[in-house]
Amino acid sequence: MSLHQLSATQLRDAFLKGEVKAVAIAEHFLKRIETHDKELGSFLSVLGERMLLKAEQLDRKKAQNLPIGKLAGIPIAIKDNMHIQGELTTCASKFLSHYRAPFNATAVRLLEEEGALIIGKANMDEFAMGSTNENSAYFPANNPWNLNCVPGGSSGGSAASVAARLALLATGSDTGGSVRLPGSFCGIVGYKPTYGRVSRYGLVAFGSSLDQIGPLATTVEDVALMMEVIGRHCPHDATSLDLPSETYTKRLDLKDIKFGVPRQFLEGLNSEARKNFDQSLLVMKDLGAKIIDVDLDILKYSVAVYYILATAEASTNLARFDGIRYGNRSKAAKDLEEVYELSRKEGFGSEVKRRILLGTYVLSSGFHDAYYKKAQKVRTVMIDAFEKAFNECDAILTPVATNSAYEKGSMRDPLQLYLQDIFTIPANLGGLPAISVPSGYDDRGMPLGLQICGPQMCDVPVLDYAYAYEQATKHMRIPERYQR
Amino acid sequence: MFDPKEFEHLRKLCRLQCTPEEEAQLFESLKNVIGYVEQLDEVNTEGVPSCNYVLRGMLKNQMRDDEIKDLLPREEFLGQAPDQIAGMVKVPSILKEAP
Repeated sequence: MSLHQLSATQLRDAFLKGEVKAVAIAEHFLKRIETHDKELGSFLSVLGERMLLKAEQLDRKKAQNLPIGKLAGIPIAIKDNMHIQGELTTCASKFLSHYRAPFNATAVRLLEEEGALIIGKANMDEFAMGSTNENSAYFPANNPWNLNCVPGGSSGGSAASVAARLALLATGSDTGGSVRLPGSFCGIVGYKPTYGRVSRYGLVAFGSSLDQIGPLATTVEDVALMMEVIGRHCPHDATSLDLPSETYTKRLDLKDIKFGVPRQFLEGLNSEARKNFDQSLLVMKDLGAKIIDVDLDILKYSVAVYYILATAEASTNLARFDGIRYGNRSKAAKDLEEVYELSRKEGFGSEVKRRILLGTYVLSSGFHDAYYKKAQKVRTVMIDAFEKAFNECDAILTPVATNSAYEKGSMRDPLQLYLQDIFTIPANLGGLPAISVPSGYDDRGMPLGLQICGPQMCDVPVLDYAYAYEQATKHMRIPERYQR
Repeated sequence: MFDPKEFEHLRKLCRLQCTPEEEAQLFESLKNVIGYVEQLDEVNTEGVPSCNYVLRGMLKNQMRDDEIKDLLPREEFLGQAPDQIAGMVKVPSILKEAP
């Protein structure tokens, strides 16, 4: 079996047993990027030299029997909105095309301390705003299952690189589904932890009450392995949970587990997605779980709440990009006002501008109460509804999306695109852990995903349920094109 | 009602310029999205508190000692600045001479 056909855990074990050297791993995956990434577009920068250097160090440490960590030898892609000291962090934006990170993100530091080998910075929608990766200011990433289709977004490069086995793990960031949706579209596992579980220090902020870093991987076991490493308290992030890191078990049956299904909320599914979802429910029943209906009708307002709150927070967070201290400064600017206005005009793409405008609108004098405050209240109603639902069930099941990946360029209307996030947004509004697991393929051969969403702080059970489902179904495959 | 005058005011608040084509497209899509989010009026929120922190039962102050650390050396910081002079960030003049 070739190195890229292994899971991250299997590859690490092979390295620990001395069956393969870290340098050989690095060379193998760098070669794959050279072969495949021109057509795939999953990386904005490849850190070949740095990776080989780290791999040599790892081989030396191993030869000397020094401790080498839980992720030793695993090639990992880092979404390009997370800092690696000294390397570019562009957020797929022209505004930051030359920006070099002055420090390491906590997640990046923890991954490297455990021996993970960073291979490059993954493509994404500009400032994580989008669900197709078409909003990258550089080039779109493509779907490894069909290069004419979108990989999903905003962590599209992260998902595409793992699905094509150019890396075996990736970090993503999830504000409204940006890890889970591309996970589902690319046929791999994507996980958004409980709000605050992973430190966001060194992640470029988008919607601070919603953002959470999460893993993308080919198996639930690999996701759990990465969570053990990055799910830690960090004093640099005031929203980081002050709790010990958790270890994840491997549960194979779901006896006594109750799953809630919000039936009314699932209108709008296409027939293939519905058939696929019903099959997943049967699998859960066979594993011993009970399926009950839960009332979460209020979630139909999720997209409206989200696009008020996320854009309000984004307009605030992106005010720092003013062309003064770092990033783009317009050469045409003659006075200070023009430095702001022209630097932002040149540096930001249309979607980023749209969200800054919308966010500023809902916060502006005269509209603040009607939009922002109202959305904050509806968010409370939603969290109440979730609490009530979780009194009746252990987790909630929905599809990840209403459909599989669609063709690039086929979705042009911003509102239609926003509505794509209907099933993933609620977990962010509720601060809930939610995972996307491969659940099969539609008649076009494109992957579909099942979403399992648990109560706040229940990261371990959510991964357990996902593991049991994955082991019972084994839907995950490597796309034909990338098997060799 | 969201109209072109409103848009122009908003654009200024955002310190953002757009190309004319972009402006037409942004105006239309903003009008649509604002129309869409107005559906929240259907939800009764009387007496409901604002959600200021999402995790229930976990809200507490995160205090740490106020230690001085040299996290970002001056040269490195200035290395990121688009323009600099005498160890400081340089910007176009803010105050203009009286005519």
